[in-house]
Amino acid sequence: MIQIRQFPYRPHDYETEKASNSYLMSLIAAIAGLPLPIVNLLATLFFYLSNRKGTYFVRWHCTQALVSQVFLLGTNSVGFWWTVSVFMGDVDFTNQYMGYMVTLVLFNLAEFAATIYTAIQTRKGIHVEWWFYGNLTHLICPAK
Amino acid sequence: MSISKVDLFLMVKGKHFENYQISNIYNRLTGLRESDWQAVYMQDFHDPTSIQVISVLAGSLGIDRFMLGDVGLGVAKLLTCGGFGVWTIVDWFLIQGVAKEKNGEKLRQTLAHMPNESEQE
Repeated sequence: MIQIRQFPYRPHDYETEKASNSYLMSLIAAIAGLPLPIVNLLATLFFYLSNRKGTYFVRWHCTQALVSQVFLLGTNSVGFWWTVSVFMGDVDFTNQYMGYMVTLVLFNLAEFAATIYTAIQTRKGIHVEWWFYGNLTHLICPAK
Repeated sequence: MSISKVDLFLMVKGKHFENYQISNIYNRLTGLRESDWQAVYMQDFHDPTSIQVISVLAGSLGIDRFMLGDVGLGVAKLLTCGGFGVWTIVDWFLIQGVAKEKNGEKLRQTLAHMPNESEQE
């Protein structure tokens, strides 16, 4: 799921701090914005926009944090509105709903743990790539 | 004599700047005329730690942005209650970097009008 790769150059201390902050900020925003899933995406997007002229290492990790939040937004939004529908009585409480919510919680916990791990490793200057998100980030964020 | 003044300046004020700016500042200050040092010492820089504390305590009112001189952004942040909370959180992680960048720019502008001794010769 998570791979440690060699980055094209050795990042400086100030770069690792900014890159690590992008993950930390998404965590804080996720906690502060509960249960609305859009808040952490917006926060990560603003952070990415403010660092878009930063160094390659900073931009790369801001993009990876953003990509992960985009996927999280999709899954969490479905869960959020499905739950609202169940509470409003429009939809029945089914096994499918229960299964989806359990999967969603596990997915969020996995992402939470991965984000903390990545923030710590990135602060040390270690380049961490996530499965799928890492490849997507390479496509979105070229070395220039 | 001049070198030790530079070292002293960076020891006292070094935390006000980004790490990557330090070597440039060091090179620029080395060889600065004695008469120009007064203006450099008199410069009032933003303290990144104080700005960080203010951002955490009163960031939703945009006070951190006002203190950095970003009046437009401060008003926008104030009117939107810290960008509905999102901008406030983002600024907790950004504001120290912004303060350091502004300090670097301020010093660069001050030094731009001062020739150093090697340039004079």
